[in-house]
Amino acid sequence: MAPKLQPRVDGDLGSLLDSAAFLHQIVDALGSPLNVVLPDQLARNVQGFRDVYQARHLGGGIFFAHKANRSRALIRALAATEAGIDVASLAELQHALGAGFGLDRIMATGPKSREFLWLAARAGVIVNADSTTELTELAGIVAAYRLPRVRLMARLSGFASTGTNVMTRASRFGVPAARLATLWETLEKHQDQVEFLGVAYHLDTVGLPEKAVALEGCLHAMDEAQQRGLRPRAIDIGGGFGVSYLDDGRQWEAWTSELTGAVLGKRPPITWNGHGYGLRNEGGTVRGTLSVYPAHRTTSGPAYLDRLLGTESAAQRRALGTLLLDSLYDLHVEPGRALLDQCGAVLMRVEDVRDDLVRVAGNSADVALEQHGVLMDPVLVPRGAPAGSEPAGVYLAGNLCLEADLLTRRQVYLPARPRPGDLLVFVNTAGYLMDFSAGNALMQPTARTVAARRDRGGWRWCLDDQYWPVTGREETG
Amino acid sequence: MRYDSVTDVIGGTPLVRIDAAVHGLRNIDLFAKMELFNPFGSVKDRAAWNMVRHRLAGAAERAETVVELSSGNTAKALAVIAGMHGLPFRSVTNRMRVPEIKDLLLLLGAQIDELPGQSECLDPTDTDDPLTRMYHTVSAAGGGYLHTDQYFNDLNVEAHVRGTGPEIIADLDGRAPDYFIACVGTAGSSTGVARVLREHDPEVTVVGLVAEKADFIPGIRDIDEVHEVGLFDPDVYDTIEAVSSDEAIDGLLTLVRRCGTLAGPTGGGAYQGAVRYLRRLDAGLTGRRTAVFIVCDRVESYMSYLRERRPALFQQPDRTHSVRTLTAEDLAATRTIGVSDAQEWIAKENPLVVDLRSPFAYRALHIDRSINIVDDLFAEMLHGGLPFGRRQPVLLVCPVGEKSASYAALLTRMGHPDVRSLAGGVIAWRDAGAELVRD
Ligand SMILES: Cc1ncc(COP(=O)(O)O)c(C=O)c1O
Ligand SMILES: Cc1ncc(COP(=O)(O)O)c(C=O)c1O
Repeated sequence: MAPKLQPRVDGDLGSLLDSAAFLHQIVDALGSPLNVVLPDQLARNVQGFRDVYQARHLGGGIFFAHKANRSRALIRALAATEAGIDVASLAELQHALGAGFGLDRIMATGPKSREFLWLAARAGVIVNADSTTELTELAGIVAAYRLPRVRLMARLSGFASTGTNVMTRASRFGVPAARLATLWETLEKHQDQVEFLGVAYHLDTVGLPEKAVALEGCLHAMDEAQQRGLRPRAIDIGGGFGVSYLDDGRQWEAWTSELTGAVLGKRPPITWNGHGYGLRNEGGTVRGTLSVYPAHRTTSGPAYLDRLLGTESAAQRRALGTLLLDSLYDLHVEPGRALLDQCGAVLMRVEDVRDDLVRVAGNSADVALEQHGVLMDPVLVPRGAPAGSEPAGVYLAGNLCLEADLLTRRQVYLPARPRPGDLLVFVNTAGYLMDFSAGNALMQPTARTVAARRDRGGWRWCLDDQYWPVTGREETG
Repeated sequence: MRYDSVTDVIGGTPLVRIDAAVHGLRNIDLFAKMELFNPFGSVKDRAAWNMVRHRLAGAAERAETVVELSSGNTAKALAVIAGMHGLPFRSVTNRMRVPEIKDLLLLLGAQIDELPGQSECLDPTDTDDPLTRMYHTVSAAGGGYLHTDQYFNDLNVEAHVRGTGPEIIADLDGRAPDYFIACVGTAGSSTGVARVLREHDPEVTVVGLVAEKADFIPGIRDIDEVHEVGLFDPDVYDTIEAVSSDEAIDGLLTLVRRCGTLAGPTGGGAYQGAVRYLRRLDAGLTGRRTAVFIVCDRVESYMSYLRERRPALFQQPDRTHSVRTLTAEDLAATRTIGVSDAQEWIAKENPLVVDLRSPFAYRALHIDRSINIVDDLFAEMLHGGLPFGRRQPVLLVCPVGEKSASYAALLTRMGHPDVRSLAGGVIAWRDAGAELVRD
């Protein structure tokens, strides 16, 4: 049988799993698949990041990267905290404005359409410009409509390292760090339209050294800006702080070892059709690279941020966080996945069980484990008494009637063989894995989302759209 | 002894007995094959030289760059050899994890390329990983590279078939040892030596040592990673065992402190793994047996590695004039001063303003006429005593007023009568609208 990969479950998410009757009730009422989000947890995660700031005496904004989840409840709950929001589309901006974020707390990122730029400028949110061309376009809109000066961050990319050559995947975004002169000229030219706040980066990598190089590059860019007489005050280091999905690192090690063994044909496959997740067997030697999310991480989320800030700058021989503080700069971050750690789950009903194949009411777009390469077992919540205590290794098939529609190509481990009517709970899926790419192929229903919060030992829930932070009990409170 | 080239010095390393009082084995003679005596410092000198020596002339003609996927001893040896022959050397690695080796490679003039980390937002359809891509680039014929390809190159094994293996047999008076124990990196040394020993005596037991998973011993692979090694053939070894970095360091300490052998972590791991393995057999033996393990390289390059894992080994007694020794009373006695009072004080008494922030930040903006002594340096200066006279009033500033307060407390304790710390630091100064300049 395939080795287990048990998910890490903390706090509210843990007690949700203990509330089997409640989970069955909401799936009976609203159908499968069903997304559950936990807005209260999001607020706690914001505090986790803030604690890192405080320990290092740093100021600046924690901007949640909205793209990681579209739930209204999560955004509205976030608006009730001190956090900001990073919006990457016109609709996300509208969503954020409607949820009650103040203008200092909204940062528009990514490449932007004209309409997106217009609304951002008109509303007066912070614009994180993706290129010099976009900056010029924004300035044009501000001038044409006589709008107030827009506060602006400039995203950079392609930083050079010192000592060793720290390579990084080429990014399609940002102003090349080697071409800053054009940026400064454009900023000077449009001084009446934009107020320059500072520089930014976002790197899609788990690699800390690359981010350290980028942060150091930003410090140098800020210095250059100062020399040109600009007065920037903040550096935005984007997201990518990561989540550790598994409870026990040894399970991850064991599973990856077994996969290596399976690829070499030394043990029966532990994946559908012997899929190697990027590894292949060439004459008895394993080639390729395991292409999945590192499901167990020793440093992720706020701890990763702290590690980055504690990394020494190669040139200054001083911790990057200390250099930021020395320079009196604010630090902005845009975590998506990390802020949603433990903030939700996807529930699916078991339809049919045949040999080692379990078919569920939902598909691989409803819980994007495979698409995002996150490997972990679902949690079985039986409908009645458990079917026995014999563990089972099974494959999970979806409702799309396609050979390829497996929720994960990994054989998952369940503590007992499921029966039709049982629930499989895909926990900790709020970040990217929940509704990032849900569609309605075959006219299968897309999941509804409910927001749940603990209330005096029980659970209160409402449809995502009905959630607002106010509970109606404020006067007595 | 006289040589015409330093590369002639490669190999011919001694086999040295480990004192039985140290290893405690009663029926086994344990010998160390001292590869640390190679001229560039490790067992990899043999492989590096054997992989390039016939190709150097051609590479020089075509102005090729020597390239290897290595972050350790192979890179070091190749960098030296390439330099001797006027060729550039490029080392490609996932991570340079041993800072001393990184610095040494830079000193030798190598270019070091660190490959990017995994994507945070995975695109599983992107099978094109940076390592594979790099591998294809450097392996292409006519691409301008002499790629030594140590994980797949039979010349790596051959270096030990010709050198290391026969030397061991010769030094044991023509006999193969009963046990041979070696750490596995590229598997070149263990495979080559094992082949020679087995040909001589099929009864030899060969033990391969790898690192425990998710652990790190520089130079060798863990139990999964060995399967990515082209030269690795599980049938070479009678058994493969894992050693932890902790065991490797224990072994290293035994070798350096008691055996006069300045071994690095894999030498320590091989010793510890050998003794652990042999101890299980020792009691049951009737006759005498011989065992050989390899000491691959030297300890000096691993100070940061050791300091990180065993800080206690390097502990220095606390110095007296240090902020770490401040008591709550010392701190309570600190004089702090707010922004407007400080401005007045500066105007009236002209105190020395010391800015403890980094030179980089100081250069960008600072309080006019302040001097910059970054906190680390200031701490060093204070170990020696007061760095300015008692009649000179001093205002200490830092970003938020925390570090400056502790240094003010320390200076006060050291007997300075008028040191003050700027409350709220340069941030409060800026936020109060007070002037900051850039010179
Ligand atoms: C500009 C920007 N900021 C932040 C994020 C969030 O990244 P993560 O969810 O890995 O923290 C992304 C993700 O793609 C991004 O593109
Ligand atoms: C320090 C150290 N020990 C051991 C080894 C292992 O030797 P081999 O590559 O021959 O298996 C290496 C090789 O990379 C090494 O650098």
